[in-house]
Order: sequence, then C-alpha cells, then structure tokens
Amino acid sequence: MKTQSFYAKRIQPLMFMALVTIACILVTAALHLSTLERVQINEQFFLWRSVLDAAAISHDGQPNSVATLFQDMVETYENQYVVETEDGTTRYVVERTGPGLWGPITIMIGFNDDLKTLAGISIVSQSETPGLGARIEERWFTSQFAGKQGPFRMVEEGTADAPEEIDAITGATITSESVKNIMNRVTAESGNISREQ
Amino acid sequence: MAAGMIKKTFLAPLGKDNPVFVQILGICSTLAVTNKLENTMVMTLGVMFTTALSSWTLSVMRKWIPSRIRMMVETMIIATYVIIVDIALKAFYPEMWKQLGPYVGLIITNCIVMGRIEAFALQNKPMLSLVDGLASGMGYAYVLLVIAFFRELLGTGTLWGYQILGSWWTNWSIMIMPPGGFFMLAIFIWIVREAVFKEGTK
Repeated sequence: MKTQSFYAKRIQPLMFMALVTIACILVTAALHLSTLERVQINEQFFLWRSVLDAAAISHDGQPNSVATLFQDMVETYENQYVVETEDGTTRYVVERTGPGLWGPITIMIGFNDDLKTLAGISIVSQSETPGLGARIEERWFTSQFAGKQGPFRMVEEGTADAPEEIDAITGATITSESVKNIMNRVTAESGNISREQ
Repeated sequence: MAAGMIKKTFLAPLGKDNPVFVQILGICSTLAVTNKLENTMVMTLGVMFTTALSSWTLSVMRKWIPSRIRMMVETMIIATYVIIVDIALKAFYPEMWKQLGPYVGLIITNCIVMGRIEAFALQNKPMLSLVDGLASGMGYAYVLLVIAFFRELLGTGTLWGYQILGSWWTNWSIMIMPPGGFFMLAIFIWIVREAVFKEGTK
C-alpha cells in the first residue's frame, strides 16, 4: 500500500469536514431564522391560550380570536396575569412548576376574585408518558378543578364525589399525585397573590 | 440503470430485508413512539425523509469523502436533515412537536439511517440510494404503524384519537407503556417469521 502524503492524510480530511460543517450550519441556521417569527407566534399562542383556559374564558381555539381576547381582557404582570371578565369580576392567573414522573410539569392556575376558588387550570408543559400521564392535558381532567378549593385528594378514576376529590388517571398514579401536589401548594399559598400591582 | 434494479432495491426493505423484523434495527424508536397512531405517522414520515435524503446526499458526495472521517460526515448530514424535520414541525405543526418532544431529535441515532448509508449509499449511485433510503424508511414505517394500530386500539380504545371501542372495553394500560411495545414487536416478528418466512418448518 502506498503511503499517503501528510496533506492527504491530515489536512485534506480536516478541511473537508470543516466545509461540510459550515454548509450544514448555513442550511439549518437559514431555516431556523426564516421560521423564527412563526415559532415565536406559536409559543405566544400556546401561552395566551393557557392563560385564557385557566381563567375559564371560553374561546374557539383560533389564533386570531385568542389574541384578541387576550389583549382585551388580560393584563400581564411580572409573576401573574390579571383577567377582567365581561361581567366585571377579576380573575388572577399564576404559573407554577413542579416535578412530574419524567420531567417538570408546568400548570397555569386561575383563581376567582376571592383568591380561593379555582376558575380553572391548564397544563402549559409536561413530558409524561403519552397516553397515560400525558392525559392530564385532557379537558375532562383539568376541568375537575374548576369551582373548587384546595386541598385536593386523588381518588380512583371515575369515583370522585366529594368537593375535595379529584379523579386520578388510571395507570398514571405518580403523575396524578404530582399534579395534586402542585395544586395543593398553590391553593395553600393563594392568599399571597397580590390584588394590587 | 435497469428498472429491474430499482424495483429490487425498492422491494427488498419492504419484505425479506426489512430493517425492523429481519435486521432488528431501530428498535428503540419502535418502542418509544408507537403508542399513538398519529405520533407514529409523523415520526415515520420524519424517518423516511431523513433516510431517503441523507442516503442521496452521501451517495452524491461518496467519491470525495475521505474514508477515515466518513462517519463524522455521515452523522453531520443525517443531523442536518433531522434538524430540518424538527424545525419544520416546530413551525408548522407545533402541537405535534410538543407531543413528540425529544423523539424527533433521536432520529439521528436511528441505526437504520446510518446502516443504509454505510451498507448501500456509499457504494451506489444517488438515484438508487434515494430509492433504497426511501424504501427502508417505508419498511420501517409500515411495521411501526401496524404495531401502533394494535397498541393504541388495545391500550386506549381509540384510533387516531377517535373512540372506536365502547365503554365496555377495559383499556390495557400495559399496551401504552414500553413493555407493550416489546410484546407487540415480538408477536409481530414471530408471526412474520413463522407464517411468511416459514422458518419454523425448515
């Protein structure tokens, strides 16, 4: 076998790799920058939608109407959102994060004027098991908290009866308990939410 | 280039050289994403896109790649296509992007992609490599879709998110969890090898 020159053995592969890397970075960077605005609009839409859901403001889920409703009704402060509803009452929405089974669970939690009764909740982000723990995002689960006051207790799916009882998700005990813990902590501290800004 | 060659290249990964049930590649994603039909569909489309185009690209470049750094180049090209899929989902299909989470990025590590490049694209012409990559992706896709069909149906009583089985059906939670993927995959491989390849009777 003929021995390769120093250039062919060391320099040329290095330069080749550098060229490929630069080309790949240019392609992905261009794509990233060209979709950046869209991605930010998507993220803002998800945030606005979860604030409206937590404040129990009904909407049709369309980006335009969500944006209009949010801008009309919601004031954004450093650590909370204040929602003025059409009938003149005020709702306070805070975001809380706690540990789940696989990763953090972030929940948007809405309180009525009394700062005790929940208006609603919505899951902002979670990484639970799809089909099991991830079902905490489903409306039948989140809607259970509306109109109730903590602390809560998780019971077997389909058996919740008393006001403090919440249907847990079968097969997702740890995720259900995690949501309960986050909810019980926030309802216990809800008196600290400030009405004045 | 003979049409027969293209046909042979296209059909092999769908049947006797299937990446999943013959070569047993790409098992990790088979287990991870097959508990919902919709997620599986998006994921397999991403894999098809990546295997087809990275095979094509590397086949075009194959004469210039110095052999001692070829794996670095392969990984770089694969990663680029996977990031394109990730960015496209994030921008145009954000709900799905949130659900799939890290799995799209993990296409990079799917052994089928690099396996086809090493075994096929580096020795063959670009068009043939494109066909091979696409067919390998499709061979992977239909196995996963069959598994996902049974896992979603038995695990949640739904298909594509729509309720199929009535309230009399008790969900098999195990089907949704990773062990369900193992069971379904093993049963699938068993049926194919027993009934189609007749391995047991040889």
